Amino acid sequence: MDVAVQVKGLVKIYDGKVKALDGVDLTVEVGEAFALLGPNGAGKTTLIRILTTQLKPTAGEAYVFGLNVSHDGGKIRRLVSYVPQEMSVWTDISGYENLLIYAKIFDVSTLKRGKIIDEVLENMGLTQVKHDLVRTYSGGMIRRLEIACAMLIKPKIMFLDEPTIGLDPAARKVVWERLTVFKKEYGVTIFFNTHYMDEADLYSDNIAIIDQGKIVTMGTAEELKHSLGGEIISFMLEGSNFKSELPNKIRKLGFVKDIFINNSNLNVLVDNAEVALPHIIDVLKNEGSSASKVSITKPTLDDVFLKYAGTRLEEKGRISDVTHMRYMIRKG
Amino acid sequence: MLVMIELELRRLRHDRTEIYFRAVQPILWIVIYGPVMSGVKAIPTGGVPYTDFITPGVMIQTTTFVSIFYGLMMVWERDSGILKKLLVTPASRYSTVIGRSMASGVRAIFQALIILPIALIIGVRFIPNPVYFTLAFVIIFFASGGFAAISILVASFMKTRERFMGIGQAIIMPLFFASNALYPLQLMPPLLREFSTVNPLSYVVDAVRGLLITGDLSNLLVDLIAVAVFDAVLFVVASISFRRIIE
Repeated sequence: MDVAVQVKGLVKIYDGKVKALDGVDLTVEVGEAFALLGPNGAGKTTLIRILTTQLKPTAGEAYVFGLNVSHDGGKIRRLVSYVPQEMSVWTDISGYENLLIYAKIFDVSTLKRGKIIDEVLENMGLTQVKHDLVRTYSGGMIRRLEIACAMLIKPKIMFLDEPTIGLDPAARKVVWERLTVFKKEYGVTIFFNTHYMDEADLYSDNIAIIDQGKIVTMGTAEELKHSLGGEIISFMLEGSNFKSELPNKIRKLGFVKDIFINNSNLNVLVDNAEVALPHIIDVLKNEGSSASKVSITKPTLDDVFLKYAGTRLEEKGRISDVTHMRYMIRKG
Repeated sequence: MLVMIELELRRLRHDRTEIYFRAVQPILWIVIYGPVMSGVKAIPTGGVPYTDFITPGVMIQTTTFVSIFYGLMMVWERDSGILKKLLVTPASRYSTVIGRSMASGVRAIFQALIILPIALIIGVRFIPNPVYFTLAFVIIFFASGGFAAISILVASFMKTRERFMGIGQAIIMPLFFASNALYPLQLMPPLLREFSTVNPLSYVVDAVRGLLITGDLSNLLVDLIAVAVFDAVLFVVASISFRRIIE
């Protein structure tokens, strides 16, 4: 696999005292969606701003498609597009005009310009409102317009800083559906920051958890959850008298890691509950038992975060702050 | 660069209220202050009526206002994510800064134009020469670009609106009063006269007054050179400090 982003020992210290990044190492492969998950002030935005050549690292190296962020800024800026956390479109002109201005800044040729703009508007579901002033858009529409601006130049990699912050769940879903389609169609790499765990879980190929300027763990959502020890399937058995050899029969299934029984509940610890369940049910049937109720307990990314960062992600206060800020900005 | 001018024109097409409201103050100068002071007859204007004398000065004061407060828009764009996003485009910071500055020049031209009909109504006599007019507005355009670059420079140090507002006033008023906008330089105390020789506003007013009102073009070349040097220096300095704005 080719490497889209390579970060080695990256350190960023603001004003000689605030340590935002404290030796970050990570690798992002071409074509994947990479989530940087962490609480506020963990260094997520700083990392994205260094990778998009806005800030210079204090120490360490970072490469975007093999280009060094400290020396090859000009070349990197031709390959990437970036959506900051704050609102980043002009509200006193229309959505179409915003795209037109960006197309011109990026030197998209006059011939293709109209077609590409219509295409991204269509992709982001904004065709109906393209001639309305951005001021009249909803928060979700503004975010989609910002992402449309980022798609316009068909970048090799998109850096999205909290792409769905402050949006309602329906709007978040729409944004991600469009991004997923775009990623599939153009093979673009997506690097995004988030503190929504479900978002990292659902839409990323790989996740890095960052806390206090350090990457604490990395992997796919599944790997991270499995690293906690596995998933538990609980069977409430009908009648309390099951054959004594039943637990041993189940234990013989290769993937079973542990079994424990309390009252009439049989708990089985496995790596992947969905795959294991049918096999265990087969064993139950063969042994003449049946379950009246089955439940699966899966570790969440929140549990992962708890384990590696030692705290739960607090999201509430901060989201309302940012929502409020975006609102104020729109009001001018 | 031209894109930024286009952006400004599109903005103006959607919303011109600011231009109308900003026109109130200069109109007061020429409709009230001008006639009142000309009754006093204390200021030697070289034979032209006092209101006529100050009209170019007032026009340029208002366009300078527009330009100096252009930086406020940069502060706004900094608070939102627009500047960050612009800095991650391939556009060089020189073209961004010069483009934005000249965009302010466009706004300034509209601001100056809106005063003309009022001036005509109250009887200011302009020299009816289209070439002179065009040249005057070209000078206003470039001078405003230079003042906008000053404001971008200020914006890159003063990163909040409140601070910027204060500094903006503190820049404009001295420039205006220590210039030949309201009275000839000869009336000034020597120290102030020294200052006005490095005050770009004086050169702009002199050129535009010569072209629109008096027809005295003896200093035009010096004025043009002064504006060009002013622009060149400010564009470079503002571009260099521009990256600082998002840090």
